[in-house]
Amino acid sequence: MASPTRILIVEDSPLVTDAFRVLFTEAGYEVDAASTVAEAIERGTSTQVDVMLLDLSLPDGNGLEILEALRERGSLPRSTLAMTGHSDPKSRRTCLDAGCSEVLLKPVPIGELLRQIERHLA
Amino acid sequence: MTMSERTEPASLKKRIKTLESQARDAQRAIDELKARDALKTQFLSNISHDLRTPLAAIITHAEILRDGMLGELNPKQRDSVSGIVSGGQQLLDMIDEILTYVRSASDQVNLVPTEFNITEVVDQVRMLNQALAAKKHLSIERLNGDDLPPVYADRDKIKHVLGNLIGNAIKFTPDGGRIWIGFSRRGKEGEELVVEVGDNGYGIARDHHELVFREFAQVDASPSRPHHGTGLGLAIARKLVELHSGRIWVESELGKGSRFFFTLPLNAQRE
Repeated sequence: MASPTRILIVEDSPLVTDAFRVLFTEAGYEVDAASTVAEAIERGTSTQVDVMLLDLSLPDGNGLEILEALRERGSLPRSTLAMTGHSDPKSRRTCLDAGCSEVLLKPVPIGELLRQIERHLA
Repeated sequence: MTMSERTEPASLKKRIKTLESQARDAQRAIDELKARDALKTQFLSNISHDLRTPLAAIITHAEILRDGMLGELNPKQRDSVSGIVSGGQQLLDMIDEILTYVRSASDQVNLVPTEFNITEVVDQVRMLNQALAAKKHLSIERLNGDDLPPVYADRDKIKHVLGNLIGNAIKFTPDGGRIWIGFSRRGKEGEELVVEVGDNGYGIARDHHELVFREFAQVDASPSRPHHGTGLGLAIARKLVELHSGRIWVESELGKGSRFFFTLPLNAQRE
């Protein structure tokens, strides 16, 4: 049997992480979470991650640093969905250039979030 | 020269000294007010951001329930949870409005101009507001504009301005009323586009025509006022229009509806 799809939630608010944990668990995914850049790099290298849901502003740095570190270690997830509060084309471009598969405007309606994850796993 | 000036140089010097000292005091007071204002803006920015996060969690949890992911709800339960979602989203829109204001007040807004048809944007905003207008049986029509040349402006910002003006028109027009959007051109070669958002609603007394564009100002600011909001919509609209080198104003009388106008240069200088 294929192992379940694993999602790593990178988000510094435990409230938001908890909400996503419920959502993804109910949707049949295996869920892991990190709340800092350092923790996300550790989780991303020590476990196989299929999708990373990435909040960009973290207490110890910018979420995009995680992508760079994981790339160097050869542990990039299959896809990374960035979540940001800014909709301007410039910050979107920065995220895509850094290797994000998609940039979503927070808060993402759950239907849209689940659709995007499915789409990027296909 | 008067007698007193010739005979009282000492008192004149004293007077100059006093004035200089008063000017210094005034400057100190201005500096302090500016610093406090910056602090207040920073506070607004922080608090808005901090309010957004738990609210996002509330909305996500409510959506999970509403969509039956934790078990089917009966129709009454679903309605109630849907109310949490839409109330949360409304609150979120208000917080975003405050954040937009904070960014524009501290000159953090950068225009990204492109060429586009303003009528398309007007029609988009009309569509977005259709459901809200239908609840009050209001009509929103676009009177003209099919033959306008494209404008060169920041599309999202102009959409924001139109959204705020049309949103206000919906709020302040009683059931069954009429809202319209029209265009005219000004200047020797019609180089200035004037956009009008009008309604036949409650109207605004002449004394309040300036006030409505001030931040946090509401004509009725009492807690029991029938129309709630951040009081920032028109202040933001003004900032965004002014960033485009345009002007915004209102023509209105109590009980006779309101006509809001803003201008955009049609052949704005491109970089």
